[in-house]
Amino acid sequence: MSEQQAETTTDYEPRIVAFLCKWCSSAGSDLAGVSRIQYPANATPITVPCTGSISPNYILSALKKGADGVLVSGCHIGDCHYIEGNFLARRKIHLVKELLGFVGVEQDRFRMSWVSAAEGAKYSQVIKDFVDDLRPLGPQTKVKADRS
Amino acid sequence: MINLQDIRDTARNMLAKNEVRGVIGYRRSTNGMLAEPVIITSPEQADELIWDPTCFHNLSLYLVEDRKFLAHTRAKSDKPIAIIAKGCDARSTVVLMQENYFERKDVYIIGASCEGTGVVDERKLARKGIVATNSAFDGDDFVFTTAQGEQRIPAREVMADRCLECREPFPKEHNIALGENKTGRQLEAPFTALKRFEELDPAARWEFWDRQFERCIRCFACRSVCPMCYCDECVVDSTSFPVTGQTTAEEKANRVRWVERSATRAENMTYHMTRVLHLAGRCVDCNECERVCPVNIPLRLLNNKMEREAREQFGYEPGASIGGPSLTASFLDTDPGKFIR
Repeated sequence: MSEQQAETTTDYEPRIVAFLCKWCSSAGSDLAGVSRIQYPANATPITVPCTGSISPNYILSALKKGADGVLVSGCHIGDCHYIEGNFLARRKIHLVKELLGFVGVEQDRFRMSWVSAAEGAKYSQVIKDFVDDLRPLGPQTKVKADRS
Repeated sequence: MINLQDIRDTARNMLAKNEVRGVIGYRRSTNGMLAEPVIITSPEQADELIWDPTCFHNLSLYLVEDRKFLAHTRAKSDKPIAIIAKGCDARSTVVLMQENYFERKDVYIIGASCEGTGVVDERKLARKGIVATNSAFDGDDFVFTTAQGEQRIPAREVMADRCLECREPFPKEHNIALGENKTGRQLEAPFTALKRFEELDPAARWEFWDRQFERCIRCFACRSVCPMCYCDECVVDSTSFPVTGQTTAEEKANRVRWVERSATRAENMTYHMTRVLHLAGRCVDCNECERVCPVNIPLRLLNNKMEREAREQFGYEPGASIGGPSLTASFLDTDPGKFIR
């Protein structure tokens, strides 16, 4: 490991807030756990009933409270427990993503993925990729509230 | 050209026949040449009504106020209220009806076409140094009465940005319509201002919005003037948190506050982003929020961004039909999903 890499890995650990659908991604992360798949411990999972229930406020609030990245993960299209929740989420999340990009927040800070209950390996990969993408960006200071 | 007498006669007749409870229109304000919104309730007041280039307010806000007033006083309304609506006013009225805020029979829309001219932008007028006491439409020009006499200015030069880009100056939804239908006149391509801004790179965009959000004083003028911001409790207020004798300090401290009251950059940003997302697919680009902003934050850019996403990605046009689905409560199989991993 080069010196520069060592420095970035010790100085800064990105914190991810992961909103996981109760019916799939949450179980997927569970599967990754029970299968003993190694992945970074940077994500704080928050289980929600459905990705469609995620208000843009959750995402903005997470960023405001200092999350370096926000992940929204739900069921594959067509697999929603509530039939159409993830279709609605796809629209809403698209708007949030575009808006964040528009005001100049790095696009990589916000991510959405479809992870089913059987995809423990995919979940670990999503987190790994996300952490790798967040590292070069450094701490998120744009939306974070200054509480000093 | 709309004959002012037609507007007055229509209002007078309807009030005299007792067909409507009142007419929401414009009258001369005490502030120089500018118009101000008025609700007239008797036929004699009809002569107060005016129609000129300073009628830029979105009157559908007063439909919301009227309904809130009725609900508050528990009054029953068997008659509609009439509104003088430009293209944008009519569109926002349609959105309100689409959301079942009131029914079509509760409102009588007197459509007033903006024709080729639109309305003025006070700030553009001030930059030109025009201090007028009166203004009038005349073909593609505005005629201002100043101390030096009449001044004729091409409408394009002092017209509000939204009017330059307006796609629908004629109120499609109406009971009666006055003026010519000049839909499709488009003096500038839609989203011209937005495109210009988007050419900046993300760092420059952030620098810009960082400064803008820093300046916001959270007076909530944008929220107050917006006809779509009719929620009884706004997400930024949390006024319905019940504080009783039994409420502990911990409960008070830990209650959900999506946006804090302090006017700091991060809170302001969250407030504006929340508002923009709540208005996505509902904002009809009347641009009242930007007009009333005391610190001139270009809110139209944010709203336009959402409007264009809705239009280009989801094929959604706000205020198009009363019975249509709303943007965020509907979906298509063809919605973009490439960004999802």
